[in-house]
Amino acid sequence: MAWAVARKDVLSTLRDRRAIVSNLLIPVLLLPTMMLGLPLLLGGLFEREQASLTRIGIEGEAFLPSELRSAIEAQRAELIVTDDALTQVRDDDVAAALQLPEGFAEAVAAGDVPRLRLLRKSGNLESELAAEKVSRAIASYRQDLVAERLRSEGVDPAVLEPLVVETRDASRPQERSSGQLSWLIPFFIAVWALAGGQMTALDATAGEKERGTLEALLVAPVRRSEVVAGKFVATLLSGLSAAFMAIVGVLVGGALLRRVFLPRLGDEATEMVATMGGTFSIGASDLWILLGSALLTAAAVAAMLIAVAMFARSFKEAQTYVAPMTFLLIVPALALQFSDLLDLGRGVYLVPLMNVMVLMDDVLGGAVGGMDVLAAWGTMLAFIAVLLAFALQSFRREGVIFRT
Amino acid sequence: MVHAHGLRKSFGGVHAAWDVGFDVEPGTVFGLLGPNGAGKTTTLRILATLVRADGGSAQVAGFDVARQGEEVRRRIGVVNGGMGLYDRLTGRETLHWFGGLYGMSAAAIESRIEELDGLLDLGDTLHRRCGDFSTGMKQKIVVARAVVHDPPVLFFDEATSGLDVLARRAVLDFARASTGRDRAVVWSTHVMSEAEELCDRVGVIHRGRWIGEGTVDELKRRAGDAADLEAAFFGLVRDAGEDAPIPERPEGGRP
Repeated sequence: MAWAVARKDVLSTLRDRRAIVSNLLIPVLLLPTMMLGLPLLLGGLFEREQASLTRIGIEGEAFLPSELRSAIEAQRAELIVTDDALTQVRDDDVAAALQLPEGFAEAVAAGDVPRLRLLRKSGNLESELAAEKVSRAIASYRQDLVAERLRSEGVDPAVLEPLVVETRDASRPQERSSGQLSWLIPFFIAVWALAGGQMTALDATAGEKERGTLEALLVAPVRRSEVVAGKFVATLLSGLSAAFMAIVGVLVGGALLRRVFLPRLGDEATEMVATMGGTFSIGASDLWILLGSALLTAAAVAAMLIAVAMFARSFKEAQTYVAPMTFLLIVPALALQFSDLLDLGRGVYLVPLMNVMVLMDDVLGGAVGGMDVLAAWGTMLAFIAVLLAFALQSFRREGVIFRT
Repeated sequence: MVHAHGLRKSFGGVHAAWDVGFDVEPGTVFGLLGPNGAGKTTTLRILATLVRADGGSAQVAGFDVARQGEEVRRRIGVVNGGMGLYDRLTGRETLHWFGGLYGMSAAAIESRIEELDGLLDLGDTLHRRCGDFSTGMKQKIVVARAVVHDPPVLFFDEATSGLDVLARRAVLDFARASTGRDRAVVWSTHVMSEAEELCDRVGVIHRGRWIGEGTVDELKRRAGDAADLEAAFFGLVRDAGEDAPIPERPEGGRP
């Protein structure tokens, strides 16, 4: 009988064009766009910036040592002579600029320590990249200068490097490829479970009251527990469909990115895409944990929606009750974003909602513990049972059913 | 078919129903007459097992409303003026869905729809979505939904509220036609003319109190040969000393 109740609510949702767009189309497009499109766009921009000829202003061009000029030009930069480098950078006439004091080249040749100024616009990505090019050129020029001066003093330049540091990325391959934006995946799954289930839950509870259909349903020979179960299942299916579409979007988008777009990008741009999370992949067993956690997230959200929305007199009132629930999902997501800096501890796997979001993040990072899965899933099942019991109580209370 | 004895229900200290009792025999329409807020809806909700009475007892179609709710619900149909429909389902889908809740097969529902189409002239309402219905069309499907399982007891609560004259007539005629040897109708209304036309017996309720019951003629006589049911209603309310306040708590505690 619960399925019969659910079937009607599912059918109603499927016939609502707004629900189809918000539950199926938006999640399948939005998440890949943010997760993959953004890094791809930045990676492409970065690569283009590296490859293109950058306009660098030079004030005091007469005092520019030829070696430094060569080093800058080697970075694919075009030097634009100017009398007012500051204004030129401010007005975006050049991406960055160098100011050389009078007699700079002579001072360098004499072994003095002259000062030069690099002008850039903070917060402007193009300017930052241009300044980086110039900094690399200056570093290279300085290194040559130091080596030359040491040799003139009869010292081997190698004396400046008494040891060699080799940096190695110790993260797991999955952790590495999940990138900095991986927290978005559990967050979006939770958010889409909420957004997807919301319309069905509100329509099936407060909406039924408002329309005057709830009384007709309750005078049918259906147990209240079956009514709650049916509405829960319908809400869960709606929420899951949205969350599922979000995951499908990410997986399909990720495969597309790896096969089609990444090979066309250069090494540095590829690295940037990976850093931001554009190349993650999930193994089959981990995928089940991700899906199980997504299912429990959607179930908890569905149970919360039913329990809360039932109190409302109308669909509109229910929307105001449900709106703050987004914060319940944002807080764990924020904690995930800064999980590297926060010591969340093992206790986090016993905190409903937070636990499954952390678990999903673990899956993407390739570091899932079996006990953590058991703790998180067990806690979530108990949490869902409590919420459903609360929802059932609401459906049995005359004050709630007839609160119109 | 319906037996109510000493039904009591309070909401936050307000007595919505106080010592309400009546019997509805098979083959009759029983009118529950009273102004808005009199306690008619609360009484019907108790009988429909939607609300639990604080005191008293009631049986519907041979089953106790407090202990055998599901059995009662299998045997009743409820129509009230405020009932709505699912906007995105057609009339036929609505009837199939509700029929399914009563355990009916698709073939049985389809055959019942044919029958109801003849009785209520459902016509267009069957294949159009309920969201597109006029008030009259909506009420036809609301009535059809309430009787899709062919229940022996029907409760109508202000069922003609907001209907135009044609739709109102169709509902009144349907209610009259719904009585049979093993069937009964409880018609709750504040419209005296409806009760006068339709009901075999009428119970008068006011401010939750049961004032009395009888045939329309009996009530008129009891009110000093009142000209019509409306005059009888006011006479009975006055005679009952209705203005005297109802005690906040029942004497001797909860019955």
